[in-house]
Amino acid sequence: MKILTTVKRVVDPDAKVRLNSDNSGLVTEGLEAKMNAFDQYGVEEAIKLKEAHGGEVIVVSIGDSAGTKEIRTALAMGGDRGVLVTADMSEIDPKGVADLLAAVIEREAPDIVLMGKLSVDSENNQVGQRVAAKLGWPQATFAFTCEVADGWATVGREVDGGTANVRVKLPAIVTADLRLNEPRYASLPGIMKAKRKPIEELTPDDLGVELEPQLIIQGYSLPPARAAGEIVDDVDSLIDRLQNTAKVL
Amino acid sequence: MADHIVNKRDIEFVLYELNDLLALTKHEKYEGMTREDFDIITDEAIKLCKEKLAPLNQAADAEGCRLEDGQVYVPESFKQAYADYGAGGWIAMSHNPDLGGMGLPVPLAIMMAEISIGACGSFMFYPGLTVAAGHLVENFANAELRDLVVPKMYSGEWTGTMCLTEPQAGTAVGDVATTAVAIEGTNEYKIKGNKIFISAGDHQLTDNVLHLVLARLPGDPPGTKGISLFLVPKYRFDGTGKLGERNDVTITGIEHKMGINASSTCSLSFGDQDDCRGYLIGKPRKGIVYMFQMMNEARITCGIQGLALGGCAYRLALEYTKERVQGPKMTERDPSAPNVKIIEHPDVRRNLMLCRAYTEGMRALLYRAAIHADTSHTHPDPEVRERANDMMELLTPIAKAWCTDIGFKVTELAIQLHGGYGYIKEYAVEQYMRDVKIASIYEGTNGIQALDLLGRKMRLKKGGVFLMWLQDINEFLQANAEHATLAAEISAIDKAKNAVAECAFNFTMMGKADPEAAILGATPFLEAFGYVEVGRLLVESAVVAQPKLDAIFAREGATDDEARRQVVIDNPEARFYDSKIKTARFFAANLAPKAVFLAKTIKTGDRSALDIVF
Ligand SMILES: Cc1cc2nc3c(=O)[nH]c(=O)nc-3n(C[C@H](O)[C@H](O)[C@H](O)COP(=O)(O)OP(=O)(O)OC[C@H]3O[C@@H](n4cnc5c(N)ncnc54)[C@H](O)[C@@H]3O)c2cc1C
Repeated sequence: MKILTTVKRVVDPDAKVRLNSDNSGLVTEGLEAKMNAFDQYGVEEAIKLKEAHGGEVIVVSIGDSAGTKEIRTALAMGGDRGVLVTADMSEIDPKGVADLLAAVIEREAPDIVLMGKLSVDSENNQVGQRVAAKLGWPQATFAFTCEVADGWATVGREVDGGTANVRVKLPAIVTADLRLNEPRYASLPGIMKAKRKPIEELTPDDLGVELEPQLIIQGYSLPPARAAGEIVDDVDSLIDRLQNTAKVL
Repeated sequence: MADHIVNKRDIEFVLYELNDLLALTKHEKYEGMTREDFDIITDEAIKLCKEKLAPLNQAADAEGCRLEDGQVYVPESFKQAYADYGAGGWIAMSHNPDLGGMGLPVPLAIMMAEISIGACGSFMFYPGLTVAAGHLVENFANAELRDLVVPKMYSGEWTGTMCLTEPQAGTAVGDVATTAVAIEGTNEYKIKGNKIFISAGDHQLTDNVLHLVLARLPGDPPGTKGISLFLVPKYRFDGTGKLGERNDVTITGIEHKMGINASSTCSLSFGDQDDCRGYLIGKPRKGIVYMFQMMNEARITCGIQGLALGGCAYRLALEYTKERVQGPKMTERDPSAPNVKIIEHPDVRRNLMLCRAYTEGMRALLYRAAIHADTSHTHPDPEVRERANDMMELLTPIAKAWCTDIGFKVTELAIQLHGGYGYIKEYAVEQYMRDVKIASIYEGTNGIQALDLLGRKMRLKKGGVFLMWLQDINEFLQANAEHATLAAEISAIDKAKNAVAECAFNFTMMGKADPEAAILGATPFLEAFGYVEVGRLLVESAVVAQPKLDAIFAREGATDDEARRQVVIDNPEARFYDSKIKTARFFAANLAPKAVFLAKTIKTGDRSALDIVF
């Protein structure tokens, strides 16, 4: 079975990101970069599928050349080879990412693609869906279970107010939610082995993809500072405030 | 969660900016290794420690160990953790890959030791003793025994112990009375005797425990020259490693301790039924020699306990002082002025700064020692190897004793910073103080380290090693004497260094005139030496940081003090480099002069401690 999985290098979600002086972008100097949390579930599921069915796991990332670290981490967990599409992430929108991924997927022709449901930096939650649409493949998003048998994937999905089970014919796109599995740690032997696994570097040109962003970021601003709270004297005045000032009761 | 267990930025600074870890990758052993590999290893190390070890720490401390029907039970949660730790390859990170080690540079193993001990100090005794014992077997056992047991130890299948101490033989290890007698027609020996205080001496984590036991063969001379080293398994095994019946090793008790409660500290009786069998490691009568060859790295790891637990306590205190509100600012006259976070109070800041300077100083000292340790084995040039080895020999007693005493001091200050809450178990900081205290006692008490420094290390190559150290620090100080921003700090370290050098030369005379009085100076001398070496490394850190900070200021267009301060507030990299400079300044002004003071006290030659009738 040929399994393709995607990883994105993101700024550590716990780090404090600041705006630059003219509010045109974010300052990430000195902040930690990590593998997008949801991608870890996708990678883990890909490796589990390989362990169950045999085959190969290809790890794909789009971003600057530092992204080999996240690919290498996924290879250390058990992936077999990597593909890095180098692109300037500040000039690329979800459609561009989806176009590039779709091009890689067409080249690789995997049986299944496992992705994170969204990336924790921009939280667009679009790429998996767009890739499926672009390729005309079935999709199962927000997966918390995933079984593969006889050319079909049965996926439990987390949806508002409950869960849904879907069956999708392979090849298909599955996007991972955080209850899908517990991602393994890369072991030192795994890390040493990953050094010898190949990572192919490609450009959008190599893939014949022309990037035409449809989403252009005009600027950033911080949410307005919250006004200070007020301490009231007793319960009666609290109820009065809730009813008449905040109008929530 | 558990964010306080590691300061990744400072670890990276020490590895890649203060030192050049990547220079080691030019040595054949590490060919092909890259910064990216090391970064992935660092990230995985932190993840494992934060997510798998740190959550066990407090509960394991409360649970402790128990002895039931001759078997010790340590917290059950350690079982999975030990399996994970072994499977991850973390037990023998810098050891021989042919035997299941990972063959990585020593400083990375030191890094993992810092993070993992901080996460769960009592857990780390099991892998720590195992790798120490395994390394002895690796270096000195015959090939057959080595190839059979070392891979099982390095992979986490079996654990190991170091059995030196007996009731009458603590510091005086030469008084070991356990005996070994060859069993005719076999390669085995019958072992008989009692050991106490044996860390990781028994547990339910793995199927077998291998004890490395110091014992005497019949007719060998008394003292350290007559001691041999034996491997004594809990369960016997055959030539394929298959386990057989239980060996005649009895767990007669476990200690109830001040700290490291989840590390089992066992009394062992060998040969109660006269049927305890073991194997000789290496040659007869070489036991102590073998132990001493492994001593430097074990003592540096001991220093790491001071750093790791002190560092965790400091970072908890830092978090706490940023939250706890008490009283208005002291300089505020207005009675209605608001109360402030206690980190605003000058005395709190001074205590935090002490903790910080000590912690970063310990880290600089220990990681530099780790670089020396690695260089002494892997550098292609034998002269460089020898120099690195000499430097490590000289600095090891300081790394061990200074860092464990100062590590303890930091945990104590961190409790103080918490006020009454620091004394309460729920706040987690008191455990660090209980857990770290033992590090100044075992692996040669700190008093013995001081004697080692003064009596042996200062005399290495007839004092030539000390002179080499002196030359090295002088070169650094002279090169930076005119430093634009750090000249005052350089001068403070220079004064401290001169005091220690003068003291060192005086000892020779003192020793001749009144040897016992000279010995009184050993501990203050080690302490003073530590202040000089650490002061130098912190100022060196500032020298490294200054141009990097200036570059950020230039890029951000910060030309006046106010703008620069804003950059330091906003930009974490600027804040980091600025803090390096402030920390060096604080150490040079407040702590380095301690060396001058201590040297003065030694010079008095006061012998009242000897003359008094207690
Ligand atoms: C929790 C714990 C774990 C341990 N783990 C191990 C282990 O795994 N394996 C093992 O073999 N041992 C272990 N030990 C034993 C430890 O190494 C000894 O306790 C230590 O060597 C000191 O010996 P002692 O306790 O007999 O103290 P003593 O030797 O009686 O020392 C008491 C005091 O006298 C001082 N002193 C003694 N002799 C001299 C001298 N000649 N000059 C100056 N001062 C001197 C010492 O510095 C100390 O302050 C452990 C101990 C503890 C408490």
